Amino acid sequence: MIVLKDVTKSYGEVDAVDHVSIEVADGEIFGIVGYSGAGKSTLIKLIDRIEEADSGEIIIGKDDICKLEGKDLLEKRRKISMIFQNFDLLWSKDVLDNIAFPLMLKRVEKKKRRELAKELAKEVGLEDKIHAYPSELSGGQKQRVAIARALIVKPEILLCDEATSALDPKTTEDILDLLRKINKEYGLTILMISHQMEAIQKVCDRLAIMADGRVIEEGTVYEIFADPKEELTKRLIRTVDTGLDVKKTALELKERYPEGHLLRLTFDEVTSQRPILFELSNKTHIPMNIVSANIKNTAVGTLGVMYVHIEKRHDIALVLSELNADGVKVEVI
Amino acid sequence: MILEALYETLYLTFIPLIISCFLGLLIGTIIFITGSDIIVKSDKKYLKVISKVADALVNILRSIPYLILIIWLLPLTSFLTGKVIGTEAAIPALVFSATPFFARMVIIAFGEVDKGVIFASKAMGATIKDIIIHVLIPESLPALISSITVTAINLISYSAMAGAIGAGGLGYEAYQYGLVRRDTGLMFISTAMIVIIVFAIQILGDHLAHKVDRR
Repeated sequence: MIVLKDVTKSYGEVDAVDHVSIEVADGEIFGIVGYSGAGKSTLIKLIDRIEEADSGEIIIGKDDICKLEGKDLLEKRRKISMIFQNFDLLWSKDVLDNIAFPLMLKRVEKKKRRELAKELAKEVGLEDKIHAYPSELSGGQKQRVAIARALIVKPEILLCDEATSALDPKTTEDILDLLRKINKEYGLTILMISHQMEAIQKVCDRLAIMADGRVIEEGTVYEIFADPKEELTKRLIRTVDTGLDVKKTALELKERYPEGHLLRLTFDEVTSQRPILFELSNKTHIPMNIVSANIKNTAVGTLGVMYVHIEKRHDIALVLSELNADGVKVEVI
Repeated sequence: MILEALYETLYLTFIPLIISCFLGLLIGTIIFITGSDIIVKSDKKYLKVISKVADALVNILRSIPYLILIIWLLPLTSFLTGKVIGTEAAIPALVFSATPFFARMVIIAFGEVDKGVIFASKAMGATIKDIIIHVLIPESLPALISSITVTAINLISYSAMAGAIGAGGLGYEAYQYGLVRRDTGLMFISTAMIVIIVFAIQILGDHLAHKVDRR
């Protein structure tokens, strides 16, 4: 478990991390999304204690990592592995030696560490590349090596610093699948930071949005997508290519249907299971025209957005109250 | 006679080269590590001071002309070798001029190692010693080999000047027999031998640097 309590870190005048409190449960994939400069990278460095927090507590397992020293700190840090945007492999070592590198630092005997590295190469799907050098690998393969290298120390926590940001969409998908697989297989707690909402929403159980060093919104992927509160969150969600591109769709529809009422309905895991619109039109006898609809499956549930057009002459007050009663989020555009 | 000069040149190149590379690597590493924000904690200000002072010393030594350096170092030379002239007597001055040069090359080579890789190694629990041995040196090996090559070639040309204190060597041979005694043939042979040695070192160095480069 990772618990951050009121963590603050500033560089001179700039508050890189400003009173951040987050809890990440064991075995959870937690995402932190924000634009660059939001303080995400600093936060991850504080968790691994590469940088020192100015104040606050960072509890990992049972201990506050900020208070550990010497051997205890080293032990704690060995339970935390990291992967990076640029993979950060040693070009002078082949795949096997790169994967085995952390064990070499722990003075594990060469034969033993290479054996373990071989197993992990297989785990990440690189068994036929073990003697290749990083320069002979693609970006996705390099990140697989980095993941294997992170796993070889049997960590409890994996920190991913923009791990998919340098990869193309297809490769990103593969790497995210791999992360999810190892999360399940090893019960690994994963903390991902990224500016790509796309990547985070696919794999994370919960997420937090960061801006100017602060966490401005936090919740399950579903909660955030279904009902974003902050302007920045809405903007980040819009970047996700889901067909749920709210602003663009709304504008286009408004152009096509300048007359009448245009409603945006957001369905969640529960409401998307029921024939709500059918029931509604039976009850109100108002004809409703579905002009755009989309359902998106995130890591934790289904999310649906539907645009409904109702002619001008109908009164929509009843429609709105019925939908609200059903638990569907309605916005009039 | 010319073979003796060849031997002297090789001696004056490779003995100081080995010593200078060892010392230069040591000094360059100290300057690089103490000056690096990634490797040492940035709150240790005194390390930065060490880095700056050592760096300045390297620059001072590098700016003293070789011939002047020989004279400055006469007392040290006589203390170390018991002589002030002759082949051995040239070695301290050669080391003193090649070491700061190589140290500078080491700093440049280390500076080109990917910062992310150093950072990642540190995150994986690498000690400073680990970073030097397993990251900095192997990751900058092609540049280090090239630096050794350039330093060796520099030493060849310095060793010609070491003739001023009777160190001998091909350069001195060319000067003595060619210019002073007007023996153009000997001057030509001596010069050609220097050129051949320089080429051989350069080709060998390039080959090795290329061979270890897996980027």
